[in-house]
Amino acid sequence: MSVLKIKDVSKIFANGTVRAVDNFSLDVADGELVCLLGPSGSGKSTLLRMVGGFERPTSGLMIINGEDITHVPPEKRPTGMVFQSHALWTHMNVFKNLAFGLKLRKVAPDEIKRRVEGVLDLVGLGGYGTRHVAQLSGGQQQRVALARSLVLEPKILLLDEPFASLDQHLRERLREEVRDIQQRLKITTLFVTHGQDEALSMADRIVVMRDGKTEQIDRPDIVYREPQTPFVAGFIGTMNLIEGTVSNGIFSKAGYSTPLPVSDGPAILAVRPEALDLTVANDNAQGKVHRVTDYGTHGLVDLELLDSTRVKAMVSHPDLFRAGQGVRLAPKAIAAYRDNAVIHRA
Amino acid sequence: MTTIDSGHIAPVQAERRRPYGLLLVAAPVLLVVWLIIWPIISAVITTLWVQTPEGSEFSTGTYQFFFSDGYSLSNLSVTLWTTGVCAILLLLICLPIALYLRFSDSKVAGYVQGLAIFPMFVPSIILSFAFIRVLGPNGTVDLLANAMGLPKIRSPYLTAWGPVIGLVWDNIPLTVLILLSGLGNVSNQAIEAARDVGARKLQVLWYIILPRIGNSVLVAISFAVLGIFSSFTLPYVLGPAAPEMMGPFMQRTFRELFDPRNAITQAVITFGFCIVFGLFYVRSVAKNRTP
Ligand SMILES: Nc1ncnc2c1ncn2[C@@H]1O[C@H](COP(=O)(O)OP(=O)(O)OP(=O)(O)O)[C@@H](O)[C@H]1O
Ligand SMILES: [Mg+2]
Repeated sequence: MSVLKIKDVSKIFANGTVRAVDNFSLDVADGELVCLLGPSGSGKSTLLRMVGGFERPTSGLMIINGEDITHVPPEKRPTGMVFQSHALWTHMNVFKNLAFGLKLRKVAPDEIKRRVEGVLDLVGLGGYGTRHVAQLSGGQQQRVALARSLVLEPKILLLDEPFASLDQHLRERLREEVRDIQQRLKITTLFVTHGQDEALSMADRIVVMRDGKTEQIDRPDIVYREPQTPFVAGFIGTMNLIEGTVSNGIFSKAGYSTPLPVSDGPAILAVRPEALDLTVANDNAQGKVHRVTDYGTHGLVDLELLDSTRVKAMVSHPDLFRAGQGVRLAPKAIAAYRDNAVIHRA
Repeated sequence: MTTIDSGHIAPVQAERRRPYGLLLVAAPVLLVVWLIIWPIISAVITTLWVQTPEGSEFSTGTYQFFFSDGYSLSNLSVTLWTTGVCAILLLLICLPIALYLRFSDSKVAGYVQGLAIFPMFVPSIILSFAFIRVLGPNGTVDLLANAMGLPKIRSPYLTAWGPVIGLVWDNIPLTVLILLSGLGNVSNQAIEAARDVGARKLQVLWYIILPRIGNSVLVAISFAVLGIFSSFTLPYVLGPAAPEMMGPFMQRTFRELFDPRNAITQAVITFGFCIVFGLFYVRSVAKNRTP
């Protein structure tokens, strides 16, 4: 059964024509972690804030556990939000930050103490209760913010780029911790990020958003392997997107051609760098090596087609290639798009 | 205060730079000593050493007079009352305005802000006469009430409430501005987080916003109190003839009764009260610096 149901929700901001969220629908199952992934301005935060009750949808419905909460204010929603900048209350110590919500709910003091300490242990901050917020590192502050939401045992946990202000290393660690905690508590979670790594490594499902609309909703591996639109293909991982034309079952673009069994017309050919084999060719080359980067374990070749369209290929022996060399391309797996939809995959 | 500043700013290891820093601070300090501290000391001396034909002699006579004279005491108490009532009214009026300005994103907020700051540009003497025209006997309000057949209400003009209304109006801009700057320190996210854990609007105000702006409230109140306690024009024009606030009282004692020693005594006593609030202010500023 779905815990959260978002139905045809749109948000148009009062000041004008921006459709921050456009006819968005999503069902989130119990205990699921769904990542909202998209570029800046795609409406991720706006959507999350509508679930939390901080923005009112212009139209559409929000349902939690079968109850319509579209117009319920945030303080009455069973959601817990972790903000990008931790938003801790700096005039309270860690314990009081966590206890505040429980106090408002008139929980008995010894019960408050027990629960706060339990959650502090859970986020790895046991014994930090008397610390002041200012005496914590950025990562610890974010843990406190997470604990502050968790201690109230919300039905749905909402995280809006909670690690955006932390360094790479810490971000990766906290990502794992959050995933662990989420799975241990089996808490339904919506996680906003514009980092694809974060989404791919954490999510049960990913919602790729663009201009307030859904581009694709799928498991991470499927989003990666079978992107439904050229936008998703380009946004998740690295993808070569070559715009060309198909005629008589042959896709061609500036001297490069490959069989593509679809009807005639324009098409976008999508090939991952790791799915593109290169061979050195002096005669009838299809492209020219522009730059070779050696990463130790593998190499990346930047090449140009004859009309200087850029293409990337991953190679296992970068020392075989030199800038200026002619190459032929042999894709092992391709997808083709037309009118924003997949027309072929092989 | 300037000296406190230099102590904070000068880093311990910059031993050799210190004389320059002190030199920079020296000018304002000397100015303060010359224009403020010295007059205070000399005022205290003037009131405590009486010139007699044989020379000067120590006497607390004028103070004893002040604190035994019923009229002086009622002037002091009306001043304290006015100051207290104004401070409370200012908070009650300005806090909602400042909260509205901080948290509203409607266009109206801009106009309200303009209106709230407007009194700052009106000199108190003009304000006084405007007040008389509007709220005085046969003023606009009176005439309107008459025209609508309402009973005649007693005008606050020439009662203790006259100065209160004028002073509150006069102090709204500064108070709103100070509170607003304090509210700037309260992030939207901190408030949203509070609502998220279940705080209703008043609980957000009480548990999250007020504790964060406590200092600004103190600063705003001490500013207002310092200004109001020793104000002159508004109580002089709008207030009753007796009892009067300390400002007009001093002026009258000095100019009309030609009694400088008692006038200065009144000034020293006024100063004594003000310095208490001044210390409040300094303390809250210092607290602000060391979180
Ligand atoms: N309060 C607001 N008033 C007007 N427009 C807004 C408001 N909040 C967001 N928008 C607009 O709505 C669109 C979506 O914004 P949103 O913050 O949801 O994007 P986002 O996907 O979270 O981006 P980011 O990754 O940068 O956080 C943007 O075009 C933004 O300018
Ligand atoms: Mg955002």
